[in-house]
Amino acid sequence: MEMMVLTRMKRGSLFDRRAVLVGISLIPVAALVLLVSVVIWMGFRQTGGVSASYSLDAYRQLFGDAFTYKTLLNTGIFSLVTLAVALLFGVPAAWLVERTDLQPKEIPQTLMILGLLTPSFLSAMGWVFLLNPRIGILNTLITSIPGMEWARINVAAVPWMGVIQGLGLANVAFVMVSPTFRVMNPAFEEAAKVHGLTFFRILRKVTLRLAYPGILAAAIFIFMSAVAAFDIPAVIGLSNRVFTFSTLLYIQVQPLDGLPRYDLAGASAVLMIGISLLFLWWYFHTLKWGHRYAVITGQSYRPRQVELGGWKVWAWVFLGTYFLLGQILPLSVLVWNSLLLYPQVPSLSSLSQVSLANFRALSIPQLLIGARNTFILAVSVPTLTLLFSVALSWVVVRSKLRGRFVFDIFSFLPHAVPHIIFAISAAYVSIFFLRSFLPVYGTIYILLGVYVLVWISFATRNLNTALIQIHRELEEAAAVSGISLFRILWKILLPLLGPALINTWLWVALLAYRELTMASILATTRNLTLPATMWGLWLSGFYPKAAAVATLAVIVMIPLVFLYWFVGRRILAMERIS
Amino acid sequence: MISVRNVAMQFRSREGAVQALRGIDLEVRKGEIFVLLGRSGSGKTTLLRCVAGLERPSAGNISLGGRTVFSDGEGIFVPSEDRELGMVFQSYAVWPHMTVFENVALPLTQGKKKFPKTVVKSRVSEALRLVQLEELGGRPAPLLSGGQQQRVALARALAIKPRALLMDEPLSNLDARLREELRFEIRDLVKKIGITVLYVTHDQVEAMGLADRIAIMDHGVILQVGDSQELYHQPASASVAEFFGSMNWLDGRISEVGILETEIGRLLADVARSVGSSVAIGVRPEDVELSVSASGGMNEFEGQVLSRIFLGEYILFQLQIRTQKITAKVRGIAGLQDRMYLRIPKDKIRVFPSRLANLHSAAKETTLPVN
Repeated sequence: MEMMVLTRMKRGSLFDRRAVLVGISLIPVAALVLLVSVVIWMGFRQTGGVSASYSLDAYRQLFGDAFTYKTLLNTGIFSLVTLAVALLFGVPAAWLVERTDLQPKEIPQTLMILGLLTPSFLSAMGWVFLLNPRIGILNTLITSIPGMEWARINVAAVPWMGVIQGLGLANVAFVMVSPTFRVMNPAFEEAAKVHGLTFFRILRKVTLRLAYPGILAAAIFIFMSAVAAFDIPAVIGLSNRVFTFSTLLYIQVQPLDGLPRYDLAGASAVLMIGISLLFLWWYFHTLKWGHRYAVITGQSYRPRQVELGGWKVWAWVFLGTYFLLGQILPLSVLVWNSLLLYPQVPSLSSLSQVSLANFRALSIPQLLIGARNTFILAVSVPTLTLLFSVALSWVVVRSKLRGRFVFDIFSFLPHAVPHIIFAISAAYVSIFFLRSFLPVYGTIYILLGVYVLVWISFATRNLNTALIQIHRELEEAAAVSGISLFRILWKILLPLLGPALINTWLWVALLAYRELTMASILATTRNLTLPATMWGLWLSGFYPKAAAVATLAVIVMIPLVFLYWFVGRRILAMERIS
Repeated sequence: MISVRNVAMQFRSREGAVQALRGIDLEVRKGEIFVLLGRSGSGKTTLLRCVAGLERPSAGNISLGGRTVFSDGEGIFVPSEDRELGMVFQSYAVWPHMTVFENVALPLTQGKKKFPKTVVKSRVSEALRLVQLEELGGRPAPLLSGGQQQRVALARALAIKPRALLMDEPLSNLDARLREELRFEIRDLVKKIGITVLYVTHDQVEAMGLADRIAIMDHGVILQVGDSQELYHQPASASVAEFFGSMNWLDGRISEVGILETEIGRLLADVARSVGSSVAIGVRPEDVELSVSASGGMNEFEGQVLSRIFLGEYILFQLQIRTQKITAKVRGIAGLQDRMYLRIPKDKIRVFPSRLANLHSAAKETTLPVN
């Protein structure tokens, strides 16, 4: 009898340990659900105060306004151009790196991954300096040729913004499509070759057909990212009153004149979430379909590599053009302009005017607050994100909890809901409801909280993949030998997840470091970050000063990026040994 | 030692509920090597995992050395880490981020019972000596061969001095030669220690080589329990006979007492079934006798030789007799002809209820509601 009581107690204690993990996972899941619900609720709620009336007025106004449809059209054009440009550069680059004898592959591979880390507001600023209708360097050069006045480019035109966004997302296309080419069974292509198909026919009829689900999934993801993108439409479009949906949301809650319209923002957000969910469904549908194409087989092989021969030069020209347009040109122009008091075409005379005047004119205390906040966030955000994500991943992948898929779905919310919407919701909640007893608005904690919430989905996906690859029996062996759940986590799972944890930590740290979208909504003078400081200067028209802050941000980021790159290589090397 | 009473287990899968175990009863004696033998999907691994506490059965009782570790009636479920068992997994589950020593030591330092350093050290080296790996204590786990990982897994399971040792197809990832070698080694080792072993495999040869007793499982039930000889010579059903060694099958009918009408002709046999019933007749290939000339004895048939394969220890013949193909395993044979005489000794004929009838009754079982 005593024994029975004892075993019952033990059963209880086991339940408790799991409950801790479930409890930790519940916090972010509940917060995410809350923020999304608040946004929906916001759209029906008329006044901003605690007392309010409910109606469909916001929806009526939103759908009755021609401006809404213009913005929808803008967003559509912007996203389609983005998609086209991203695929135009990303897919051939992936094919060149994975399936041809182009050497050395490490250079394009590394540059592509580092490009993922370059904040897109940097290249946006660079392109404004290049293509501003009045002062842009390229425009000045073009119109200095007699009779070329008509060729002036307006960077604030929606398609041009799309081109610049596309250059930024080509890295994503590259990273997402590469594995599709890498794991493709060469037997499919060889079969076509043996049966007499020519190179281009094989490429068109076999290779690209097999890669199609992978490319389509990448395309949907990129389109969704473009719809949600804030940095480039904000940096380029806002001052020219050219809007996409995310900048429309921004201007609704941070209007240049008048009161914030949270009700309109709520209605717009619901429209945007609806569109996103539609694409998300299509995305998952495509992924499932991709699995049916059995391009992966159990045996290990190296896909046959296409010999480029004389085409090699053109391959390098292609990749070089991309890196020049996507990174080198806009970033160097940005640095150049941070050294000048007003934008000028590089020349001997302008070279003599180069100075650090912009840097000296920056407010040092403000800059220090920004740097300190950014640093605190870049350390605390990835740490907290990992804490929640490890618990979530364990619940989703390992626990046999019956409702675990609910955790999985809700932790995916930030992929479906544009980040700016979470920021608006958090601002709304903290300004109107938490003010008296939890005054987080205007503090670094609100940034910390929202950053952690939105990146949990990214971290959880990463850890899920890593956790699935760890054989379940490694944990079961520990359990049978008498080791309890927390000790298994600490002694077995975390060490084995080590590479994935380090990788995810660094990645989230870099995301937190460069974050502008949510900071633009949530940052005040007290909780400024470096990107928010730069954004404030840019919005007020101090372009060279903003360029100076951006340059400082890049300088600080370079060692971080190298750290990421270095650790990434070490992890790869470690994985090869084991 | 290990007592399983009426254990049932249901899985929920996408296709609906799957009955993995249907009322299993099992008694493993102390110090015995007990093998669960069955095809994949027979429920043998599920049963082992229920004993280990890695799965929770839907009904029944399980006790280890008199201590109830699972009882749905009393609401008891002792978690894995409190069952004091050792287990060797199919994937070995040697922790890849640790050395051999650390692998064996971890359960002793992090488990429910914690041992002082000196004890841990002596226990680990003792366990490693048992599996002949004492030299490799400092080696990182990923640098071990499959056979060595297998030994580490065994040492780790034994170092905690468990009440019983569970083994889940531990040899299936090794090549044939190593498998045979380790089989002998495992048997010697566990017999020396005197530990109770519950062992899962799908390999009949492995089961016969290791086991004191074997349970044959199929579709979540135990078909028969016994030692190798019993199972081989006195299979309780056609399914067991089919699983345990190969068999020539003939359909037939009992026409008179002691006489079977079959597709190859009339067979004389000792049958204790009623006249007129349909039966399945099984004859093992090694029990079939072959000769070049007729002896005139009973149960003799002339057959056409279809193929003859030399396999070293024996020769495998395939013969055609009327509509039926019969396989014979022969040690050596004088002379060779296209047509040969085949004799089936009366006492080597096994008669079971007709497999066709079996199928019918099985179908009835599943479609008719239980009264």
